[in-house]
Amino acid sequence: MNDLLAVLWVARKDLLHETRSKATTVATLFFSAVTLVVLAFAIGQDAELLRGAATGALWVALAFAGVISAAQSYQADLEDGAFDHLLTTPVPRAAVYLGKLLANWLFMLLLGLLMLPVTFVLYGAAWPAAWPWLLATLALGTLGFALIAVFYAGLTANLRARESLLPVLMFPIVVPILLASVRASGALVGSDDLALAQGWLRLLVGFDLVYAVLCTAIYHFVVEE
Amino acid sequence: MPDDTAIALHGLVRGYGRRAVLKGLDLEVSPGKVVALFGANGAGKTTLLRLLATRLRPSAGRALVFGHDVVEHGHEVRRRIATLAVFGGAYATLTAREHLRLDAALRDMASDDDAFTALLERVGLADAGDALVRTYSSGMRKRLGLARLLAADAALWLLDEPHAALDHDGQDLLDALVAEAKGRGATVLMATHERDRSRRLADASLVLDDGRLRLLQPGASP
Repeated sequence: MNDLLAVLWVARKDLLHETRSKATTVATLFFSAVTLVVLAFAIGQDAELLRGAATGALWVALAFAGVISAAQSYQADLEDGAFDHLLTTPVPRAAVYLGKLLANWLFMLLLGLLMLPVTFVLYGAAWPAAWPWLLATLALGTLGFALIAVFYAGLTANLRARESLLPVLMFPIVVPILLASVRASGALVGSDDLALAQGWLRLLVGFDLVYAVLCTAIYHFVVEE
Repeated sequence: MPDDTAIALHGLVRGYGRRAVLKGLDLEVSPGKVVALFGANGAGKTTLLRLLATRLRPSAGRALVFGHDVVEHGHEVRRRIATLAVFGGAYATLTAREHLRLDAALRDMASDDDAFTALLERVGLADAGDALVRTYSSGMRKRLGLARLLAADAALWLLDEPHAALDHDGQDLLDALVAEAKGRGATVLMATHERDRSRRLADASLVLDDGRLRLLQPGASP
């Protein structure tokens, strides 16, 4: 079949699961909101300091929520051998990976879009003039994060200690994505420095491309034991 | 190269860590045959099925499905097989009809709601086709597995404990479906503990014992 259609069907399956179970939605919304509030509280009432920390806090909240989302992304698959069944259909492993990636990315992107105004209000940051670039940063940053998270979640899905192993394995790899995302969004929100932001965004595109090619190419090693 | 042998194993070895589960299996199964596979718990029946379904890689040796190597041509193998997992292999948050639609899309088959309704009626899920699988009993999940098996229209069925969780009527239905599959030329390999039913259905019975296959003579006990 058209592999692109397979990607969309796998993504649809994961998104349908999430809209019905709401397990990840509730956990990540709650967790990221609490993270933003606690960090704002810890920074204190210094308005300048708060504004400067806004984008960093947003990405910290998204990163931790993203781990929860990734760990949950294989939960439904593991029940009753459902993923086993999916992998015995004539669909390329890469299409399965990209389908799960698409669902996870859309979820993280939506979470980011919801947390963005919350962050601006809590941290007193001003909406940047180049706001489309901020949205692009959010899209590229969450894509890079999801690329790695879905790959490593698949790698650890069958392990007993998957909850603790997943962040240990994926965070060292995801650090460049997070740093570039924090810098790009910080340049836009803090100083409206579009040129600086675009430099970091180019780097982010590069990371995303490299991780996309690598993870897609070797995913079959992850799911074939 | 593709050939007419449905299943061919050549010195197939598979272990987990240092523990060898399959210790050099050799086997040839012709198309249209029903083969029952017996063996104690942990003997390696599911491991063999998962190897043939391209979910596991052999440690050594080769496994071929209609001439296609399960490692080198996994995609070709998957186009020819359909599986039935012990617990049905269904997603709890999808309905039976959504599973059939998903399978049809992934198998590049036409999605025909009337045909799905007929399939669900056939397996006794006519009234539960639009209910989420999480509301199903284990037997209903297995019946959904049977519907998906039928819908796949595959040349090789790999069944893992197919009778488990099914009530008496469900087991009769399964037997009838296996006989029908054989009638249309499909090959069936089923790992099972249901000695009497399976041996009535099977053209040959094999036993996996200490990592090796042996043929079970008619009338002999596994």
